[in-house]
Amino acid sequence: MSITLRIILIIASLISSFLCIKRIKQSKLKVENSIVWMIGSIILILMSIFSNAVEWLSSKLGFMAPVNFVFLIVIVFLLIQTFINNIKIAMLNEKIKDLNHYIALEEYERKSK
Amino acid sequence: MSKVLIIIPAYNESQNIEKTVKDVIENTDYDYVIINDCSKDNTKEVCEKNNFNIISLPINCGLTSGIQIGMKYAYKHGYDIAIQFDGDGQHQAKYLKELVKEIENKNCDIAIGSRFITKKKPKNMRMLGSSLLTGAIKLTTLKTIKDPTSGMRAYNKKAIEKFIQNASLTPEPDTLVYMIKKGLKIKEIQVEMKEREFGESYLNPIKSMQYMVNMFFSILFIRAVTIKNK
Repeated sequence: MSITLRIILIIASLISSFLCIKRIKQSKLKVENSIVWMIGSIILILMSIFSNAVEWLSSKLGFMAPVNFVFLIVIVFLLIQTFINNIKIAMLNEKIKDLNHYIALEEYERKSK
Repeated sequence: MSKVLIIIPAYNESQNIEKTVKDVIENTDYDYVIINDCSKDNTKEVCEKNNFNIISLPINCGLTSGIQIGMKYAYKHGYDIAIQFDGDGQHQAKYLKELVKEIENKNCDIAIGSRFITKKKPKNMRMLGSSLLTGAIKLTTLKTIKDPTSGMRAYNKKAIEKFIQNASLTPEPDTLVYMIKKGLKIKEIQVEMKEREFGESYLNPIKSMQYMVNMFFSILFIRAVTIKNK
């Protein structure tokens, strides 16, 4: 891994951790939601620091360049995140629909009394 | 005599709803309920002015949600049969008795008001879609449903309970596959439908394509592997 990439990864991770903590303090983000981002940042920082280990592992796994391996990990991480978000949105939709029905039926009962 | 509820979902149907409901009241002696899916026009006011039985949803959640709340209402008030009936004036209430009769005589669990039992399908893009759906249903269930997209359907208590239990059920063809797989019997009865007089249908070419893709995916990959006993 080139030194530039390592520096970029470290800076990006630090910025994202900083933003996470700031959002939590402003109570715009929940602790349990931020943990996954913090862990992601920590992994990226570790990968930048111990780049020899990443290089060794990526060559063992048959990647053309270690940077590809890093990108793959980031992409997989993001895909999992979007999938989880998708499920959460569907659940929220279902909850909104149930609430919608509940309110409408209550209103109806109240009016017909 | 069984208790029958007619569910009329309505979204922006202020021009059609009055006529539809009067048709229902004059031609049948069943209960009805209008589900106003948060219409942007004055559908609600028109219904209230005429003293119609109306449930108004505070947020727009689409047709599926409208039918589901109708089913909840039917279940809560102990109705034996629930009929889904379009609020746009395309359906005629005089055919509902035949649908109810089929269910009362225990010939079927779900009765569909079909346009193409004795008549031939006209050849256009929309009917091509309908035929493809018929094919998909035949492929997965070995049953022939000639008018799968018909919006005039009567459900008995067993089918209403399925709607209550499974929130993913829609008032669309894929639900028919689910019901057949669950062992319910479906029968079609010849009816006639009118063209809509006012307002616009929600189906434009892009939405129709989306609809077809959704239906095919749902029928072939999700509903086809429904397990009968749960």
